[in-house]
Amino acid sequence: MNLRRLPFTREISLGVLVYLYVPVMVLIFYSFNANRTATVWSEASLDWYRKILVNPSIRDATWNSLVLATAAGLGSTLLALAAALGTKNRFRGLAVVEAILNAPLILPEVVVAVATLMLFVAIGIDMGLTAMIPAHIAFCIPFAYLPIRARLEGMNPSLEEAAQDLYANRFVTFRRVTLPLMWPGIMAGFTLAFVTSLDDFLTSFFLSGPGSTTLPVYIFSAIRAGITPEINAISTIMLIVSVALVVTSFLLGKIRR
Amino acid sequence: MKWTGLLTASILAFCAAGAATAEEEKVLYFFNWTDYYPPELLTKFETETGIKVIQDGYDSNETLIAKLQAGGANYDVIVPTDYVLAGMIKDGLLQPINAAEMENFQYVKPAFKDPEFDPGRVYTAPYTWGVTGIAYDSGQVTGGELDQSWSVFFEPPAELEGKIAALDIGSEVILAAAIYLGVPQCTESNEDAAKIYDLLAAQKPKLKMYSADSTVDRMASGEVAMHQLWSGATARAQAQRSTIKFIYPKEGTPMFRDNFAMPTGAPHPENAKIFINWMMAPENAAAVTNAIAYANSIESGEFLDDKWKSSEAVNMPAEYGDRLVPTEVCSPAAQELRDKIWTRLKG
Repeated sequence: MNLRRLPFTREISLGVLVYLYVPVMVLIFYSFNANRTATVWSEASLDWYRKILVNPSIRDATWNSLVLATAAGLGSTLLALAAALGTKNRFRGLAVVEAILNAPLILPEVVVAVATLMLFVAIGIDMGLTAMIPAHIAFCIPFAYLPIRARLEGMNPSLEEAAQDLYANRFVTFRRVTLPLMWPGIMAGFTLAFVTSLDDFLTSFFLSGPGSTTLPVYIFSAIRAGITPEINAISTIMLIVSVALVVTSFLLGKIRR
Repeated sequence: MKWTGLLTASILAFCAAGAATAEEEKVLYFFNWTDYYPPELLTKFETETGIKVIQDGYDSNETLIAKLQAGGANYDVIVPTDYVLAGMIKDGLLQPINAAEMENFQYVKPAFKDPEFDPGRVYTAPYTWGVTGIAYDSGQVTGGELDQSWSVFFEPPAELEGKIAALDIGSEVILAAAIYLGVPQCTESNEDAAKIYDLLAAQKPKLKMYSADSTVDRMASGEVAMHQLWSGATARAQAQRSTIKFIYPKEGTPMFRDNFAMPTGAPHPENAKIFINWMMAPENAAAVTNAIAYANSIESGEFLDDKWKSSEAVNMPAEYGDRLVPTEVCSPAAQELRDKIWTRLKG
C-alpha cells in the first residue's frame, strides 16, 4: 500500500473542514436575520448590528475587552521580548526556562484561573480589570514569545557582530540592528497575544468584578435569555476582528527585509 | 517652583477626595441578570441621585453565588431569586438592609411584605416576580376558553394534541406534574416518582416538543397552540398576538420572586440602600414592568402601560393569589430522583 496516499484523505479533510466551518458560516448568516429567533430565517436586515451599537452593556463590554486585550498584548509582548533576548544564547537550564515560559499553553486554563482567583483573594486584590490584566499578561506570554523567538532564531548573528565591528555599542546595536530585524516578530507576537486575550472567557469570568464584564463574559451571561441574532452579530464582529488580526500577524511574520 | 505647586494641589485634591469617600463615593456596583433592567431607568436614577451605576450581568443564581463565595468581587446590589435566599443568609453572604423600615416600603404589595425566605424583610426588598403557568392561543381552541387547570396541559383535549410545547427544563416540568398529582414537590418516594413519570410519559407523545428557547416567538407565530410558559414571556407574546391567554392553574402555580439584596462587604452600602428604596417607588417599579414585561411587587397599577394593565399574565387578578406556590429547594435525594425521571423521560 502506498502510504503517501492514504485512502479517504480528501473525504476526511473535507468532513473536518465542514464540521469546523459550517457552524461559523451559519452563525454569520443568521446575524443578518430580521427574525428575533436566531434560527428561523425571515428576511435580511442589519437591525441587530444597529441594536448592539446602542446597547450600553455591549458598548461597555467592548470597551473593557479592548482595554484588557491592549494591556495584555503590550505587557506580555514586552515580557516575551525580554525573555526571547534572554534565551538567545544557550545556557544551562534553557530547556527548563522555556518550559516555564510556555507552561500556559499546556496547563489547564481553569486550574490557573481558579488558582489566580484564590491568590488574589488571599492577598486582598479586588476583582476587576486590576486583577484581570496581570492574569491575562501571564497566559498571553507564550503566544507573544513564540513568534519573537522564531524571528530571533532566523536572524543572522553576523549582522550584530558587524555592527559591533563598526563601533556601535550594545545599545545602539540593539536599537538600530536587532530591534528593526525583530520588529515583524514582535508585531506578530503582539497581535497573537491581543487576540488570545480578546477571546478569553475562563480567566475573565473568574476574575471579573464590578464594571469589568468583557464581551465573551457578556455573551455567556446573555445566552440564558435565549439566543437572539444580537449574539450572532456580536460574535460575527469578534470573529472578523480576530481573523483580521491573525491575518495581519501572519503577514507580518512573512515580511523579510 | 511649578512642581511644588502641582504637588500641593494634588495633595489638596487627594484630601478632598478622602473627605468625599467618608460620605461615600457616588458609585453603585449593580450585579443583575443580563437584560433584566431597563437602561433608561438607570439613567433616570443617575440624574435624580447623582449616583453612577455600573451594571454587570450574570446568567443564573448559581453563578451569582459562586462569584460572591469566591470573594473579591465587591458588588453593592444583587438580584437573587427566592429559593437561594435562605441559604445565602445562613452562609452570611448578605448583610441586613432593613427594607421594611425604608420610606417606600409602604408601596409593597401585601403578599410580598413578609416572605417566608426573609421574615420581616431584613435582608431583601422585592423586585419582580412571575409564575410558570400555561399560555394558550384561544383562537386555536374550540370555544376559545380552557379550564384553569394543569389537566388541559397534561391530559389535553384531542384537538390540541401535537400542538403543545413543554419547557425543556426538568425541574419546571416535574414540579408542575407533582403539583397536578398532589404529591410533594421535592418528593423522595419512589412511588410518587413513578406516578410523575407515568403522567409525563403518557403526555410526551401528545407534545410537539420540549423547548425553553425562543418561547415568545413560538407562541406569537402560532407554531404551537399551548405552551407551558413563564408569565413574562407570555405577556411579550400577547403583545404580538392578542388571542393568547394565560392560565394560573388552580392546583397550584409555581412562582419565583426576585429580590434586591446587599452582599456582605459591599463597598457602597448607603448608595445601595438609596437605590433599593428608589426602586420601591411605584413609578420606578412600573417602568421596569413596562420595559421587560415582568410583574413587579409594588402597588404600581396606575403607572402601567395599558397593554400590560389588561394582560392577566402581568397584572395577576388578585383572587388567584392563593394559587401561588413558592419553589422549594430539594434535598440531594429528591434531586437525584428528579434527574432520574427526566433522564428516563428524555432518553
